[in-house]
Amino acid sequence: MSRSASGLRAWLLQRLTALYLAGFFIYLILYFHFSPPKDYGAWIAWVDDPLNGVALLLFIATALLHAWVGVRDILFDYVPLFPLRLALLGLVGFALVACGFWSLRIILVPLLVRIW
Amino acid sequence: MKFRVYRYNPETDQNPYMQGFVVEASRGMMLRDALLAIQDQDESFAFRHSCGEGVCGSDGVNVNGVNKLACVTPVAELRETVVVRPLPGRPVIRDLVVDMSQFFTQYKRVEPWLKHRDPLPEQEITQTPEARDKLDGLYECNLCGCCSTACPSFWWNPEKFLGPQALLTACRFLEDSRDQAAEERLDALAGPYKLFRCHSIMNCVEVCPKGLNPTKAIGQIRARMLKGSL
Ligand code: SF4
Ligand code: SF4
Ligand code: FES
Repeated sequence: MSRSASGLRAWLLQRLTALYLAGFFIYLILYFHFSPPKDYGAWIAWVDDPLNGVALLLFIATALLHAWVGVRDILFDYVPLFPLRLALLGLVGFALVACGFWSLRIILVPLLVRIW
Repeated sequence: MKFRVYRYNPETDQNPYMQGFVVEASRGMMLRDALLAIQDQDESFAFRHSCGEGVCGSDGVNVNGVNKLACVTPVAELRETVVVRPLPGRPVIRDLVVDMSQFFTQYKRVEPWLKHRDPLPEQEITQTPEARDKLDGLYECNLCGCCSTACPSFWWNPEKFLGPQALLTACRFLEDSRDQAAEERLDALAGPYKLFRCHSIMNCVEVCPKGLNPTKAIGQIRARMLKGSL
């Protein structure tokens, strides 16, 4: 439907990602409060747990999406000059995607290395 | 009582300035009365007003930083020195008189009239009391503009964001059981600007002299959109 156009979709995405982020933060706070990892090995083991790994990857995806919608909103509000806004949007988009690949690398590469 | 009012006559003044006046407060005096007393002292001072009882919506001004309708604002409630400025963000025509045409353009864009598709009945279109109740809190708006000119999103994007007043009106017709153009109205509000520049800051709710809640109305429209797109 035409109505699901950028306004509603972005707004909904912002709320849904916010829910996940809030939930994940609560989990993190509880986890690190009650059983903080003692050393590097424990950290790796934590990420190695497929549930944690998936949750972490999902967290990164939602955090990036949430940031994207938020920054996009700020630019829509405060940068009326279209070329400047487009440039800034491009810059932010690039930075967020780069962050995404970087964290993927950090999380996935050690995993893959160990599997082989 | 001490007042400082915004003065600007584009024909003679280089820059706007604030001018001090002293008005003797009387019992039950409203800000509009004080502005009239100021006008008695200096007849070149301009401001809009008409009904004097909160109905016509023509005397919205910014008082000590808050948008209010002058005729329903008792001066006794105001902190001295009372600073009176034009509604923020609108081009000043003279003194407290601002150009509200953009605000009315946005009002027109929501097509504020009933759209009935079926053949019209012989008599009036009836409404159940329950259906009528849904319009309470939506129809009372007097178009004073206090809300939209207090809304940061309207300051930044007045030509693209409809603003709380127009969105409240959109909701008023969406909720009306006699209106048959809900789909069309919702489609017209799609996109990132017309409605979705609202960030629920609620400045509009705080200032509305009629006690209306545009933020809630905007939420109602969003809920309808969501329902329609699932
Ligand atoms: S709630 Fe929305 S419409 Fe009301 S002042 Fe805030 S941004 Fe503007
Ligand atoms: S909603 Fe309230 S503040 Fe806004 S124009 Fe209507 S009466 Fe004025
Ligand atoms: S003079 Fe009409 S609303 Fe104040």
